Amino acid sequence: MNNPFVMLGDGFAHVLQGGAIFHAFWAVLIGIVIGALPGLTATMGVALLTTLTFTMGPQVAMLVLVCVYVGAIYGGSRSAILLNIPGTPASAASTLDGFPLARKGMAGRAMGISTLGSWLGTLFGTLILAMFAPSFGEFALEFGSYEMFWVALFGIVIAGSLSGGDALKGYIAGFLGLLVATVGQETNHAYPRFAFGNADLAGGLGLLPVLVGVFGVAEVLNSMRGPAVKAVSSKIDSVIPRVRDVAQYWRTIFRSGALGTFIGAMPGLGEDIAAWTSYAAAKRASAEREQFGKGSVEGLMAAETGESACVPGAIIPVLTLAVPGSAPAAVLMAAMMIHGLNPGPMLAITAPEFIYQIVAMLVIADMVKLVYGLVLVKPLLWVLLIPRSRLMPVVFVLCTVGAFAITSRLFDIWVMLGAGLVGFILRELRFPMAPLVLGIVLGDLLDKNLLRGLVLSGGDVSPFFTRPISAGLCALTVLAALWAVPGFMDRVTGLFRRRQPV
Amino acid sequence: MSGAPETAESPFSGDRAPLPPRVDLYTAAVLLAFGLAVISLAWSMPTFVEQSHTGLTAPGIVPGFHGLVITFLAVLLALRAVRRGALQPSATQGRALAPGDARQLGTAAFLGVLYAGFLIGTLPFWMAAALFVFAFTAAFEWDAGPEGRVRRLIEAAVLGIGTGIAVTLVFERIFLVRLP
Repeated sequence: MNNPFVMLGDGFAHVLQGGAIFHAFWAVLIGIVIGALPGLTATMGVALLTTLTFTMGPQVAMLVLVCVYVGAIYGGSRSAILLNIPGTPASAASTLDGFPLARKGMAGRAMGISTLGSWLGTLFGTLILAMFAPSFGEFALEFGSYEMFWVALFGIVIAGSLSGGDALKGYIAGFLGLLVATVGQETNHAYPRFAFGNADLAGGLGLLPVLVGVFGVAEVLNSMRGPAVKAVSSKIDSVIPRVRDVAQYWRTIFRSGALGTFIGAMPGLGEDIAAWTSYAAAKRASAEREQFGKGSVEGLMAAETGESACVPGAIIPVLTLAVPGSAPAAVLMAAMMIHGLNPGPMLAITAPEFIYQIVAMLVIADMVKLVYGLVLVKPLLWVLLIPRSRLMPVVFVLCTVGAFAITSRLFDIWVMLGAGLVGFILRELRFPMAPLVLGIVLGDLLDKNLLRGLVLSGGDVSPFFTRPISAGLCALTVLAALWAVPGFMDRVTGLFRRRQPV
Repeated sequence: MSGAPETAESPFSGDRAPLPPRVDLYTAAVLLAFGLAVISLAWSMPTFVEQSHTGLTAPGIVPGFHGLVITFLAVLLALRAVRRGALQPSATQGRALAPGDARQLGTAAFLGVLYAGFLIGTLPFWMAAALFVFAFTAAFEWDAGPEGRVRRLIEAAVLGIGTGIAVTLVFERIFLVRLP
């Protein structure tokens, strides 16, 4: 009875029960507003909204969070086009061509392209998720403790290598995250690590308070610096996307969709990398590459399709391996755990229908996003004009509510404050945040699987290197680390170049 | 990104203007001390050999591993900073924060800690939130000049009370979430 089409139909029927559409509409709207406001990121949006979903059923909660995620990644392009400031880091590549288009008086057209690109991107990524996640989930059942240890380590290393400018600092951030996750009682002997006799610390540092701190509090502090941003172009031409743009750039759309989904599926590489990679690939392949950076429709389309295709891509490893593909997906995964949905390899056995329900949620979110993309133009301009001195304190209040709500401990608010201040300082010292978050989320997975692996092998570390999948993952991890060594890639490419006949 | 406008953001959010190597050296020193402290704490954790017979479930193994890696990476960071000239006298040039930024950040951080650390739990939540939002908005809009200041202060008060009441109602009544 595991017909994928039947299961997909069931998924839609299940998700659309009750007032799902109503939830989808408000959640996507909140997502778009959060994404559009500079200083509020998709990760922060999903983390804050997780609080609101505590009393909802798991299905509705997931629908709300998926909608916020999809909406926020899209919303970031609005401020990128109109203000030349990416609303979320994911939209940074969209500023390159979006803002020049707006300056030419084509802000509406740019928003239309962004809507179209983003819509197609998420749809493409969702299709890939629906096609590959179930079979990859079954393959992931082969993964034992040894393999899962490497998956977690690979996530940290690749996130460190590629998600920030400085790989070394990326690794350090990743391992700091892993270390944060070890605080509190461990599973084997209930020994409170790093608790120093404090009962609150023995309970561990909550995932949500730490994430709200790192992405909420630190972001509030960060956005209060520097001069305030002003000036929004208020004359908007038609935002209706043109069919000609799709017909003309279908290759770019497919390429960016595939790249975005693939990068999303790599642990730890988020929407920003997806957008930049898609943009760079489009530029390389384009016949009109001199237009890139000066208001190229193709460039904006590539960036938007790439970043939005990354969203379903980033959910693939969440569902199949319990390893998040991006920072917002990490929070989404935490929310799944809070709601008792255990993502990971066992999902293919215990609840295969959940994968199709997520597909249905993504499609619904994408459709609602399209509707807003076409009608929600002027109101978003007003939102962008809210001064930060009025917006940020309200966001901070929401952060404290979010940190407190899950366990009702005042200690969690202190954790949020501490994580926020440390996160801010680390950011100032140019440590990337994606590996840190990934470390915090993957810490438990790595901890359990390393110890379980050691116990199973009686202390012998060789299975970590000799089992076929383990060896493959180990090689990938080493390669990901070497990638970041200065000069390594040049030497490897030099090696191949020398072998070519002259 | 040769054709990119100068105002465009960098490809990577964490990749702004590079810091002076001296700052990296100090960071490496702090991380080194931190890593060594973690190793020593992990080493002193009980091993539970009697319960597990192997000692392979010792709670210190995983944090010890992380501590070792952080220590190793801190040494690498220090060596890199030295190679980039951290020990040369000119290495301290350049600063991380603009002077105005430091004041703004300090104000935001102070108000945040005051609110989240002390007001919450002491006052009813709606009142703490209202006071915080008012103080924050008023502090950051004070510099806009005396003209219209009274109006701005009244708006800040309305925003504060509105936030306090709205957040309490929405979270406690509609979404049934417990508030501090």
